[in-house]
Amino acid sequence: MNIENSIKRFHVEVLPPKQNAENLEERLEKFADRYTRVVEEDYCACITDNAMGHLSFQGTELIEELELPVKPENVMIHLNTFHTKKDLDNILNSCAERGIKYILAVTGDGSPRLPKLRPLDLGINGLESVTSVELLNYIKNEYPGYFTLGVAFNPYEPEQHEFNKMRRKINAGAEFAITQPVVEQNEAVEKMLKEFDIPVVVEAWMSRKLHLLSECVGYEIPENTEYDPVANLEKLMKNYPDCGVYLALLNYKRQFPLLKEMRSYAGR
Amino acid sequence: MIVKDNELLKEYRDVWVLAEVAGGRVNKVSYELLGIARKLADKLSAVKTPVPANTSAASGSVVAQLVHERPAAKSHVVCVALGSGIEKAAESFFYYYADKVIMVDDPALKTFNDTIHAAVVSRLIKKYKPAILISGATSRGRSVMPRIAVQIETGLTADCTGLDIEPETGLLLQTRPAYGGNIIATIKSEHHRPQMSTVRQGVFKAPVPDKFLKGKIIRESIYDDEKKSGLTVIKEMISEDSGINLSDADVIVTGGRGVKGPEGFEVIEDLAKGLRGAVGASRAAVDAGWISYAHQVGQTGQTVHPKIYIACGVSGQIQHLVGMQSSSFIVAINKDPEAPIMKLADVAIVGDLFEIIPELVRVLK
Amino acid sequence: MKIVVCVKQVPGTTDVSIDPETKRLVREGVEIMMNPFDTYALEEGLLLKEKHGGEVIALSMGPKRAELTLREALACGADRAILLNDRALGGSDTFATSYALSKAVKKIGEVNLVLCGKQAIDGDTAQVGPGIAAHLKWPQATYVSRLIDSKESILTVERMHEAGNDVCEVELPAVLTVLKDINIPRIPTLKGRLASRTAEIPVWDASFIGADPAKIGLDGSPTRVVTTRKPDARDKHTVVLDGSASKSAGELVKILKSRIKL
Repeated sequence: MNIENSIKRFHVEVLPPKQNAENLEERLEKFADRYTRVVEEDYCACITDNAMGHLSFQGTELIEELELPVKPENVMIHLNTFHTKKDLDNILNSCAERGIKYILAVTGDGSPRLPKLRPLDLGINGLESVTSVELLNYIKNEYPGYFTLGVAFNPYEPEQHEFNKMRRKINAGAEFAITQPVVEQNEAVEKMLKEFDIPVVVEAWMSRKLHLLSECVGYEIPENTEYDPVANLEKLMKNYPDCGVYLALLNYKRQFPLLKEMRSYAGR
Repeated sequence: MIVKDNELLKEYRDVWVLAEVAGGRVNKVSYELLGIARKLADKLSAVKTPVPANTSAASGSVVAQLVHERPAAKSHVVCVALGSGIEKAAESFFYYYADKVIMVDDPALKTFNDTIHAAVVSRLIKKYKPAILISGATSRGRSVMPRIAVQIETGLTADCTGLDIEPETGLLLQTRPAYGGNIIATIKSEHHRPQMSTVRQGVFKAPVPDKFLKGKIIRESIYDDEKKSGLTVIKEMISEDSGINLSDADVIVTGGRGVKGPEGFEVIEDLAKGLRGAVGASRAAVDAGWISYAHQVGQTGQTVHPKIYIACGVSGQIQHLVGMQSSSFIVAINKDPEAPIMKLADVAIVGDLFEIIPELVRVLK
Repeated sequence: MKIVVCVKQVPGTTDVSIDPETKRLVREGVEIMMNPFDTYALEEGLLLKEKHGGEVIALSMGPKRAELTLREALACGADRAILLNDRALGGSDTFATSYALSKAVKKIGEVNLVLCGKQAIDGDTAQVGPGIAAHLKWPQATYVSRLIDSKESILTVERMHEAGNDVCEVELPAVLTVLKDINIPRIPTLKGRLASRTAEIPVWDASFIGADPAKIGLDGSPTRVVTTRKPDARDKHTVVLDGSASKSAGELVKILKSRIKL
């Protein structure tokens, strides 16, 4: 399947259990269940990497330990720069071994317990810190031909700055991009679609927790704002017919079953 | 050691300062401690009944009862110094009003070896029976003092910010912050001698020295079996940062978490240069590895009281505040007007330090 | 190499309160974690074991729930864990604590190395590590920032002090207290975490380690906390400057000039 078509599908966020989860066994079961449902529907299961700096288990070890099936088109591993070199290599080796194809390379969120990759770890001199660009370069060089690499696009950053960054990321090997959450429509995303010739996934915020959304987009959305996540998803699919959609904080009970119909309706 | 007998307790009178001499140079904290030691010794000499009742330690009683009147016995300030080639340093302790100096000067003490130092000092304690032993809460003091305390079987209180004598009992009252400064605890050691504490640099002021003061140095030696330690120092390195003495600076410019990285400290340095001051750092900045520990201000760093203290991007955790709140004039630069440091400051500047400091540097030029 | 790593369970925050009735610290409902400095001691133990073989034993003295912190150590890769728990140990100061821990080390037997974090973030005393060394009559190296070399019977380490650092050789058995500079602690794997959840953690009491009752607990502690209080609040008048950067800078320099020569 070509990348455009593959990227056009639903990308469903699957949050891995946290390291300090008390009911770990239960959480693992839930994770396995969600992952399997997403893959079975032929959507793409996107496993986050210590999201918001919360110590969580890695997608690769979860897939291994829980013996979850991997279909190359249906799994995406998020990978950020808060790892030791050894852990980074372990994750990448495991992805390669298991035939995981999609990796989203991001700078990521730190925490006191998370070690930051140092430029020297990747053999880079004279640089202050490792960003997704260096991470992309490293993966491209060390694992040629193994992965299809994606990056983040933030339409809420100053445009010129973000566009320059995107160009550097593409030069470093990025083949697709996922945006920050978009409410209905976004001008910067539209410009970006025109400017860059790569497939794009638009993020749909599926939760009613607007304070978290405010943090993601970087501007304050009043708590009492009328926000219907499903209606927003429908709008995004209509406004961006050639893009994939990333479903953040999806409700698996109420929202997941709705996706099937929406997909056939939108011809995805 | 545990001393339950009142008659024996009477023998423990003097106040000792364990000095820190490295490379022939005296750590300033040793002089500061001679100042407080003098105050403690004078108060101790004035205690009429320095003997608590013969309550057994096991009874758990903390109330000391007076037994009978005793004539006050004079308490002396004794400075104990270990090292090699330290005669000059030893003499300097008299300038700071030490009554006596006990010196162990031996090539075996050239480098710092906590095991050897502890063995020698423990023997001297048994011989001379001090009532109190204090030392700087430097990395060396904090290594050797616990070892001595265990060998002597007595108590030790770390990082005291206040030392006093309880007038009725003559016991040492040791005050220290705990839980990052959120709790202030007062600690006593009733039946064990000596009563031991470590004190951070800058907590007490050194007395004004009088270079005409002289005294006779008591020379003690090191025993051969004390030289066997299992530890050999093979190289000593003095870092470029060793010159940082925050306690001497009139102006300190401190960077905290808001400085965001090692490159942010260049901005802090610019301002410090412009004001001919020193660079300080909060624990968060030091822990993040942006700047060396030598710069750390606060409970686990240095206590400072400069004329002007400028805190940049420091939120003002209580453990930081205890190390700088007695500065004469405090300026805080912070994005968050609600940060605790802004309430403590004389001048609070709300804004981005990366915009304000370059402006300050420009105006100063 | 048989290595004991001492780990302490500490509150996740130092923002504690005092119960007005009992005058004791309120410990209930406070989030707990492994003392951050101890994670570096643990990692160093694991690295030494990877090089020399042997065993890493996590040891903690504390209440029953300190077991959680020991499980954390197991999840990271410690081979086994021991909890020292006895009401008789309650109220121990650093002398009594280091005594009890040293007795446990003896009870474990044939230990080559004890590793501790430089200090715990709740008490901040840094006295227990050297205390254990003194009770065991072993050499100690404190504030260790780097392990330069290790052989079966001797370690070469770098120690930090205020004026720089030094390099020394320590004969084993010995006690080391370590700084954050020494390594990057690993994060538990899912495999390790799952195994740690069901591991047996033996609980040792004071008599099992042969501790002298006169040297432990509140009564065996030479020091005693007589009062605790909250620090004094310092209220004062603050001049707030919240204009533009250049305006604030100008005003501040004016104020500073009135206080020192610039």
